Amino acid sequence: MAKTAKIDVKEQNLLTALRGFFKALLEDGDMEALLVPQHLPMKNVVMPTLVTDPEKSNTADPLAPVFPMNAAKMVSRLTRRPVGGRIAVVLRPCEIKAFIELVKLKQGSMDEVILVSMDCYGTYGNVDYTRFAGDDGADASLRFYENVVSGKGTAWEDIDISPACKACEHPVSESADLQIGMLGVDTKDHLLLKAMTGAGEDLLEKLGLPEGEEPEGRKKAIEDLVSDRVAYRDKMFEETSEATSDLNKLTAYLGNCVNCYNCRVACPVCYCKECVFVTDVFDHEPSQYLKWAKRKGLIKMPTDTVFYHMTRLAHMSTACIGCGQCSNACPNDIPVMEIFRTIASYTQRAFDYEAGRSLEEEPPLSVFKESEYSEVTGGKD
Amino acid sequence: MKKKIGSTLVVGSGISGIRSALDMAEQGYQVTLIDKEPHLGGVLTQLDYQFPTDHCGMCKMLPLVERDSSSQYCLRKGLFHENIDIMLSTELVAMEGEPGKFQVTLRQKSSIVDQERCIGCGECARVCPVEAPDPFNGGLTDRKAIYLPVPHNIPNAYVVDLDACTHCGECEKICPTHAIDFGKEERKKFRILVVDDELIVRDSLKEWLLDEGFDVDMAESGTEALEKMSKEHFHLKLLDIKMPGMDGVEVLKRAKEIRPDLPVVMMTAYATVETAVEAMKIGAHDYLMKPFDPDNLIPLIVNLYHDIQSAGVKEMEVGSVILAGGFDSYDPSTGKDTYGYGLFPNVVTSLQFERMVSGTGPNQGKILRPSDGKEVKKIAWFQCVGSRDQQADADFCSSACCMFAIKEALLAKEKSEGQIDTTIFYMDMRTFGKDFQRYRDRAEKESGVHFERSRVHSVETTGKDDGTLRVAYADTTGTKHEEDFDLVVLAAGQRPPTGAEEVAETCGVVLNPWGFCQVEGFSLSRTSSEGVLVGGSFSGLRDISESVIQASSASLEASRLIHSKGGGLAEEVSPETGFRDVSREMPQVLAVLCKCGGTLSESADFDEISSWLEAQGSVTGVHAIDSLCTHEGWDELKETLQGNSANRILIASCMPYVYARKLRELGRSAELNPELMEVVDIRTLAFPGRDTEKEAVHQEVRAVLSMGIGKLKGMDPLPVATSRIVQKALVVGGGIAGMTAGLAIADHGFEVTLVEKAAELGGNARTLHRTIEGHSPQELLEESISKVEKHPLIRTHTGAKIIYSQGHVGNFSTSIEKEDGQGETLDHGVTVLATGGIEAKTESYSYGESEAILTQHDLEEKLAEGGVEPANLKTVAMIQCVDSREEPRNYCSRICCQSALKNALFFKKQNPETDIYIFYRDMMSYGFMETYYSEARKAGVIFVPYDVGQKPEVSVEDGRPRLSALDPILGREWLLEPDLLVLSTGVVPDAGREVAEQFGVEVNQDGFYQEAESKWRPVDFIKEGVFMCGLAHSPRSIAESVAMAEAAAQRALRILNSDRLASGSVVAEVRHSLCALCERCVAFCPYEARHHDEDEEMIVVNELMCQGCGSCAAVCPNSASVLRGYRDQQVFEVIDAALENVV
Repeated sequence: MAKTAKIDVKEQNLLTALRGFFKALLEDGDMEALLVPQHLPMKNVVMPTLVTDPEKSNTADPLAPVFPMNAAKMVSRLTRRPVGGRIAVVLRPCEIKAFIELVKLKQGSMDEVILVSMDCYGTYGNVDYTRFAGDDGADASLRFYENVVSGKGTAWEDIDISPACKACEHPVSESADLQIGMLGVDTKDHLLLKAMTGAGEDLLEKLGLPEGEEPEGRKKAIEDLVSDRVAYRDKMFEETSEATSDLNKLTAYLGNCVNCYNCRVACPVCYCKECVFVTDVFDHEPSQYLKWAKRKGLIKMPTDTVFYHMTRLAHMSTACIGCGQCSNACPNDIPVMEIFRTIASYTQRAFDYEAGRSLEEEPPLSVFKESEYSEVTGGKD
Repeated sequence: MKKKIGSTLVVGSGISGIRSALDMAEQGYQVTLIDKEPHLGGVLTQLDYQFPTDHCGMCKMLPLVERDSSSQYCLRKGLFHENIDIMLSTELVAMEGEPGKFQVTLRQKSSIVDQERCIGCGECARVCPVEAPDPFNGGLTDRKAIYLPVPHNIPNAYVVDLDACTHCGECEKICPTHAIDFGKEERKKFRILVVDDELIVRDSLKEWLLDEGFDVDMAESGTEALEKMSKEHFHLKLLDIKMPGMDGVEVLKRAKEIRPDLPVVMMTAYATVETAVEAMKIGAHDYLMKPFDPDNLIPLIVNLYHDIQSAGVKEMEVGSVILAGGFDSYDPSTGKDTYGYGLFPNVVTSLQFERMVSGTGPNQGKILRPSDGKEVKKIAWFQCVGSRDQQADADFCSSACCMFAIKEALLAKEKSEGQIDTTIFYMDMRTFGKDFQRYRDRAEKESGVHFERSRVHSVETTGKDDGTLRVAYADTTGTKHEEDFDLVVLAAGQRPPTGAEEVAETCGVVLNPWGFCQVEGFSLSRTSSEGVLVGGSFSGLRDISESVIQASSASLEASRLIHSKGGGLAEEVSPETGFRDVSREMPQVLAVLCKCGGTLSESADFDEISSWLEAQGSVTGVHAIDSLCTHEGWDELKETLQGNSANRILIASCMPYVYARKLRELGRSAELNPELMEVVDIRTLAFPGRDTEKEAVHQEVRAVLSMGIGKLKGMDPLPVATSRIVQKALVVGGGIAGMTAGLAIADHGFEVTLVEKAAELGGNARTLHRTIEGHSPQELLEESISKVEKHPLIRTHTGAKIIYSQGHVGNFSTSIEKEDGQGETLDHGVTVLATGGIEAKTESYSYGESEAILTQHDLEEKLAEGGVEPANLKTVAMIQCVDSREEPRNYCSRICCQSALKNALFFKKQNPETDIYIFYRDMMSYGFMETYYSEARKAGVIFVPYDVGQKPEVSVEDGRPRLSALDPILGREWLLEPDLLVLSTGVVPDAGREVAEQFGVEVNQDGFYQEAESKWRPVDFIKEGVFMCGLAHSPRSIAESVAMAEAAAQRALRILNSDRLASGSVVAEVRHSLCALCERCVAFCPYEARHHDEDEEMIVVNELMCQGCGSCAAVCPNSASVLRGYRDQQVFEVIDAALENVV
């Protein structure tokens, strides 16, 4: 069913091959623009860039083991209303999942985008990446990739990929229009390019790339990686559940939170224009603080910390796609991702829902079933 | 508030009475709703679960627009509406005058207990020594002589059952609020004249009555009595019938001339009972049987005293009267075959079973055997007990029992997690209503309810004396079985309500042969007396949704009549007072504490609570009142508010629900928005006997007071929004239903546009020539068309179609394409969809292969054209349920059985020699239709049941149909070569999904319109302002379509009636600056009151449609959607207050 092609690597390096492909997307694929992570000229960081000039995609680097933000938010900005042309967006699997959630929440649209995904080996935290990349980002990306392929793993010095990535069971996107495959592929020779949708096939046709074939070992390679990650994930669930099993433990877990709300800003699916915690709803009367303090003799300032995290869990855990940007953004190293993913595993299972899996699945809170949760409601409906 | 345009009296406050009363009240009429029982709700108070949802849902009848006019809480707990006066324990005793201007006399029995003072504490029942069977639980439990009529009313006051009461007076002594008064003091002033020629009778009566505290005088003859009467004043006369000289009847006649209002009670020996009954007819109040036994006689006289002395009589003028007396249940012990009812404790009626599964029932909902309290494992239901039984004088089907038996079986399954074995013994499973068949199928296939087609032979004990019952029956093949059950439930049929004859006589309406109210031709609500309408089961044998439809049909007719008479009985209403604008003031709370007549002082110290209150921020005053629920108490509150600068009022008393209506009044008198008043319940907390320390009580009281203050501080009510209404209607479909609805609306003075796609008006009725009752649809059709065409307010477009419709309640805009191809856009406030249905086409049973194979519709037309000569017919066969009652068309078309019966009877009448065979699955001759089924059997029509898995087979040879079918009873095959084979193919909707999509409404899986709620809102769509009627809703007879059309018009009129409609004060709003337009709230809103306006890029709330449920606020993650009166800050404050005093 899926049409398969290949991007030749041969004499060039991987990045050069990919850059060639991106350029072709703009030139031959009739794309108005391309959203792709690139090394910015002024500093050695990788940021999503919106490219319309094919010549300006020459520092694109989707291999860099970093994503400073979840780019789904950028795609949402580009598609909330008609943008006026087709855009190819190169995203990690978790970014695609986040974007699917945002589309369900009416914060974006698939109408004018072509989703291009790359197999993902994981990413370092923003700060770690800067150290890792040193002066030559492109070289660092290749080095990272070679380490992984050669079996040396993802760690470098005292740096390793983030816990979110270690626990990620979706290194390959099944929802993109075009999938660029590396796992189990002989990337010295070529990259796999697989059309997953009708739109993907059409595009593939236009690009006129040589036909390829999904190598036999790919499935096994994916399964092996996923199984390692699931093992890590399940251990994480267990430890986090234990660490937050009552209110006191939870309070301690979140103890060094300063209510900066960075996690909410970094979260790709937290889509509110303004978080309720920064609105007048939580603009308490000064006398109220005194009342609270009097009741217990002491209150922690700022207040509402546990309330904030629990509210965000209540609102967003069913949409959590596990990208880990919350932890990445936390200035105080609170394991936000860990608790979010742990709770999300329960809430999503409760509704037989997996965030980001498919556009067809309605978000649980939009669906009303009379017979749901009789054990909670006590009634028959 | 609307201006009152007339008034009406509704007799009976069951479902249909409440529906009619609300209909009329919502339209602006003043309604008096009376019930002879001391509670609202009729039989529904006893039924917790309604099929098909298997829960209640009664509250869905409450108003959706102008919500603030009425209560908005559980309707089983109570009801108020500012246009409805409710009088309980009240009967209609006289009616005079003419339609549009009736003088009615109402009589309200005293309940002995002052309903205002009673706080429902239950002390009286505790000390009452009398136990009597509790009718609320169908006699399965006992209650005291002073009791709560239903356990869940709010407020819930006790009443005295005078028949059971021994007048010991214990309750009067213990009542903490002095609410009970047996009137002993008053008795001294009550003069009784005893007239009897026998001294011993006179003396003993005098002695007994003096003992009871009455004032007694005596006369030994009629002459002496009349003499005394002319000189002195008496309140009651006890009069012997058999006296020398002038006899009692003669004395009565003369007495009526002198003192017509003096109640006279005849005293009679057995021999003269008939005379006594005669005497009643000429004005005697009652009669007493000799010989007298003081233990029996005295309570009777005391009751008479209460009847005469304490009963309130009210006379009033009303424009129309709606009778909604409901029904009584058949008592199986009175029948020839009682199935052991009354003999074996484990034989109960279906109503008793409903009580057994109820949480307020004898075992809190556990299904236990009445004989020994053991868990029930196996239950049998017997259908048609006292129905379809000519021996029980019931040649009718009670219509509702099949469905509630299935429901009860499902409840038994559910309560026992499938453990109880359930069998329903039936003759025909009458699943003729919308979606009934699928409910039955689910019960059978998914829940394992066993259906056994059999009339049970007998019920005996097993001989083991453990209460187990042995049921003997024969199955359809004639094989005899014996099976043991723990419980037998008798589906007791419906009977006319007690007192039906008296009411009929009072109102001059005719009853049918079974004692139900007779209705006119094609109307289900018009009686033989103009201006008197009938709603619900009193006209016979209806389930809830049909009762609700018919109740609305009755209110429509009542309203049409009042309207035609000019609605001249308008009650003056003081102009609406404006509320003070307090939006810029700081909150100043006046706290009012009710001491509940001092009963709370034992457990709470009001001084301490008052000083605590005074110390609270925003509280600017505290006022304690002895008893707020009394008139004096309320007046004291009003006075306190005069000139008080407080802008918030916190009332600490009891039962916050009850205050909603009072607060509205108070708001008007104090010019303060009632939204700025809050009632909290401190009585429950501070009521003595909780065995709680005073300080703990105080703490709880403080918490609820703080919560109230917190809520009040955050209240910032806006003036209630009103929306302009386009006072015009669009009716789509020009059949009988559409025309009826159009006329009903136009007759109230509103413009109607009627759009029909065919070239002529009339729809289905054009092809119908007689009904089974012998009425002529053609006459109805001609009359309707002529009225429509002549009506100055109706514009008709035939050959026209709908192109597009948009808008919402009050403001729709619809484009149509007219016959000439021209387009027109119509503005209208309501839409009625009456797009009809058509006979289903079939390819089954060789249809189309022979001219002798017809559908019922084909036959109807052929008969009308004279294309069939009955005299030449030797054999006619009919097959019912063709392609129906099985997937994909798994519903009963309800009208085919009557068509078959009608045509079969017609053939038999024309030529008794014709052999007629009707092959059926279940004969659906519900209600009084059953008589025609009986008649057809008597006339020799042969009814052969068949199973859906083994249908008759038809082939055509030489143009003639040949039919073979297995007769399960005879066990042999029928082979017929009928001259005519008539197929009952049922009804399918005509318009299809397209029209529904154009109007943004839903259809069900069969393509019929989907009502908002099958029982409680049967003609509404979820989308407010759009209504349905006729065959497009579900298959139904002409009269039923008419009733539904009237009901739809009634629902429409409540919107059209004023040029502006007010929303409720609690509605949702959107903080657009925070809104991310995710539309979750739009998807979540159960009332379709929100939409995303793409041009303005904002979520818009339709305040009329918003019911203030708060789902949107709950689903919105950042509170961009808020519910007025329940803002986050406010709710936080309330939560904080609740926790504030928690140590």
